[in-house]
Amino acid sequence: MTGIMQGRLLGLLLLVAASGCRSQEELKRDQYYAEGYQLYMTHCANCHQADGKGLANLYPPLQGSEYLGRKAEFICISKNGLAGEIQVAGKTYNRPMPANPRLTDIEIAEITTYVYNTWGQETTYTPTDSVTKILDNCKTSR
Amino acid sequence: MTSFKNISLAAGVFAVAFGMFSCDSNPRRLPIMGERDVVTREVDGKTVEDTVYNTIPDFSFVNQNGDTVTQEIVKGKIYVTDFFFTSCPTICPVMKKQMSKVHQQFKDNPEVMILSHSIDPTHDTPQVLHQYAEDLGVQGTQWQFLTGPKEKIYEIGQGSYLVTAKEDDAAEGGYIHSGAFILVDKDRRVRGMYDGTTEEGAEKLMKDIEVLLAEYK
Repeated sequence: MTGIMQGRLLGLLLLVAASGCRSQEELKRDQYYAEGYQLYMTHCANCHQADGKGLANLYPPLQGSEYLGRKAEFICISKNGLAGEIQVAGKTYNRPMPANPRLTDIEIAEITTYVYNTWGQETTYTPTDSVTKILDNCKTSR
Repeated sequence: MTSFKNISLAAGVFAVAFGMFSCDSNPRRLPIMGERDVVTREVDGKTVEDTVYNTIPDFSFVNQNGDTVTQEIVKGKIYVTDFFFTSCPTICPVMKKQMSKVHQQFKDNPEVMILSHSIDPTHDTPQVLHQYAEDLGVQGTQWQFLTGPKEKIYEIGQGSYLVTAKEDDAAEGGYIHSGAFILVDKDRRVRGMYDGTTEEGAEKLMKDIEVLLAEYK
C-alpha cells in the first residue's frame, strides 16, 4: 500500500518535473519567437518581406530557401551580411546584403528561432550560446 | 468596357440635358496640395483674383534605358512618383513591392505613369537602374527609374514634391528619405500623398488614381 503510494507520488513528481521542464523550454521558445518576430520585421522584412517570400528577382526568399538547411551559414550571414552571386530556390540573386553589426548574439538567436520555427521545420528555440559559438567561427571576421 | 463607357456617356448627356448634373452626381475630388498664392490682375478694368498652385517645374533626368526624360513624358498623364535608392536596406524594398501593385493595377493605361527617382545617383547609374527594374520584373517604359544631378533630384523632391530626400551619414544606407508616394495630376499639381511602406497606403493611392482619372473623363 505504502509502496504503491510512494510509487505514485514519485510518478507524479516526475510528471511535474518533466512538464515543468517542458514548459520552461516552451516558454523560452515563445519568448525567443516573439522577440524574433519583432526583430525580423525591423531588420529583415524590408527585403525578405513579412511572408518570407522575398521580392521578385531582387531579394531571395527565406521560405523554401536551401539556406534553412545550413543554419551556421544562416547565422553568419544574418550578422555579417553577404556579397556576390547566390542561388536560392532555383533563382540567381546578386545584391549585397548589408551586415547587421549592431545585432547582439541573443538577437540573432531570436531571429533564427523565429525564422526556423516559421519557415524551417524546427519547434524549439536556438540557444544564444550556440549562436555565439557559430559566430566565433564565421569565415568573415566579426 | 466600351459599352460601359457608352452607358456612362449617355447617362452624362442625359443628366446635363436635364440640368441636374451637379445634383445627380457629386464625385469625390482630391485636394490640391502644397503652398498656393493668390495673385490679382486686371481684366477689362476689373480686378480678378487667381489662385496659383504649387506645380511641378520642368525637369530633365535620365531613365533606366539611358534616355533623357523631361516633363514632356508626363504630358497629358497623371503620375505617381517616389524617391528611393537601389542599395537601400530599409524602406525602399517595401515601397517597391507596394509600387509594383500600383503598376500592375494600371499597367498599359496610357494615362498613368510612375516616376521613381534615385536619391543616390552616383551609384544608381542608368545601368544599375536597368538591372534593378529588370530584377523587379518591370518591363516597358510606363514605370521610369530616374537618375540625374543629385542637387536637381533633391531640389525637385523637397521643393516641389513636398518630400524629404537628403544625405545623412547617420542614417542606415546613408540617406534619409520619405516613404511617400506622390500623386500628380495632368496640370502637374500634387493631389495626394500616401504611405508607400504600407498596404493601406498603396490601396488608398489606387483608389485615388481612379478618382483623379475620373476628373478627366
